[in-house]
Amino acid sequence: MMRRSSSRTAGRVGLLALALCASLPLTGPALAQEPAAQGAGTEPNREANREATWAAIRPDLFPGKAIAEAGAIVRLDAPGRAEDAALVPLTIELALPAGDPRTLKAVTLVVDENPAPMAGRFTLGAGTRAFSLSLRVRVNSYSFVRAVAETSDGGLLMTKAYVKAAGGCSAPATKDTADSIAHVGEMRFRSFAATGRPEAQVQIRHPNFSGLQIDQETRGYTPAWFVREVEVTQGEKLIFAMEGGISISEDPTFRFSYTPSSDQVSVRAEDTEGKVFTRSFPGGGS
Amino acid sequence: MTPGRAPAGGLRRAGGLVHAAVAALCLAACLSASVAPAAAEDAPPEPVGYRLDAYRAPTPATLAGAQVLDTAAAAEVWRAGGAAFIDVLPRPPRPAGLSEGTVWRDPPHASIPGAVWLPNVGFGALNADTEAYFRAGLKEASRGDVNAPLVIFCQRQCWMSWNAAKRALEGGYRNVAWFPEGTDGWSQAGLPLVPATPRP
Repeated sequence: MMRRSSSRTAGRVGLLALALCASLPLTGPALAQEPAAQGAGTEPNREANREATWAAIRPDLFPGKAIAEAGAIVRLDAPGRAEDAALVPLTIELALPAGDPRTLKAVTLVVDENPAPMAGRFTLGAGTRAFSLSLRVRVNSYSFVRAVAETSDGGLLMTKAYVKAAGGCSAPATKDTADSIAHVGEMRFRSFAATGRPEAQVQIRHPNFSGLQIDQETRGYTPAWFVREVEVTQGEKLIFAMEGGISISEDPTFRFSYTPSSDQVSVRAEDTEGKVFTRSFPGGGS
Repeated sequence: MTPGRAPAGGLRRAGGLVHAAVAALCLAACLSASVAPAAAEDAPPEPVGYRLDAYRAPTPATLAGAQVLDTAAAAEVWRAGGAAFIDVLPRPPRPAGLSEGTVWRDPPHASIPGAVWLPNVGFGALNADTEAYFRAGLKEASRGDVNAPLVIFCQRQCWMSWNAAKRALEGGYRNVAWFPEGTDGWSQAGLPLVPATPRP
């Protein structure tokens, strides 16, 4: 049920987290939304409330839908306790078993306790049967994180993990945030094809303001300003498209599986101000 | 800082108000004096100004000019009635700019029955709007009486209540009590909490 670092992927996730964080700010966890001190008396309440939040948000997120346990089809790797609540590394791995006639349409990432719980919905290319995606999110207080995959027959399959992190959505902007603004919309791309992994990573420079961060100058909330859509295509084919919210960390970064080829990988991103950023990169194969 | 405002003086100035709550605050002061705070050894000294960051951290044992109530003392004041309980737990508003269909859920909050919830007034510095909101909230809760007893709290080890109580003192309120254990201490003592909504 709960999957934290499985032995199969733990090393890889660790390396990935290291790589992702190397050039990124380590904003301290912020303040306002931290849960009560870890007193003995507060933990049971939190336990009891864990699923209550899901019960409250589920009808809004997946109205009228049954959601089944995903078993091995959806794997979710998340740190049990996050070092930085504003940069919590997650990896979703989707794989249908051999002979399964379905394909995978989408996967939705939910952070129960974030005020906007839907972190992102990722639509997958036609015919996808396996997909892996790593990204970093903000976690506002101790929370279940859920990956809900949608199969071509309309079924929903869910896996969850519990993450102890607090204050991610309100972590203050840093000097690196100013740098993200100065370079907003610039992209970095890397294919790992040469290392034998059919994976690539794209980073979009953007402060991705959550709207919950205090502006140190005005003492008010910094207005929300974030990347709301990302589309990654290879040649004419969609790899994935994201509809994202305020839970995606600053400088949104996605590492994903794909088939390296001579076809270019193109990235289109649009933010909440309607700014559109596009770049194309070599496909990493021949 | 207003070190000249001794707590006892503040209460005496409230003397015209022969009020059960005032008596309860006096009682509370005695109780507090005799009960050492549990985490006194971790308590940092009072800063000169407001706490500006890292709000979830051990708080001082004192606030110059205010009484400090432990849970038992706060409960005593609450049962006596007449004091305004002010909850300052922060809660960010739904940001502008989210698409209409975005599912937004304000985290539920339970507070002390009868308390007025004034979110976001415990930050170290306030913008003009929040400052005005705090002043209006206190004025309403105190019915415009600067001698009215106020009990200001949020959660345990939260500087927001310390800041807000200090801010109330600097706003001219003379009978301010700070309840550092807040809703955590309250619920652990088996005292009731009820769902709260912020003052508009």
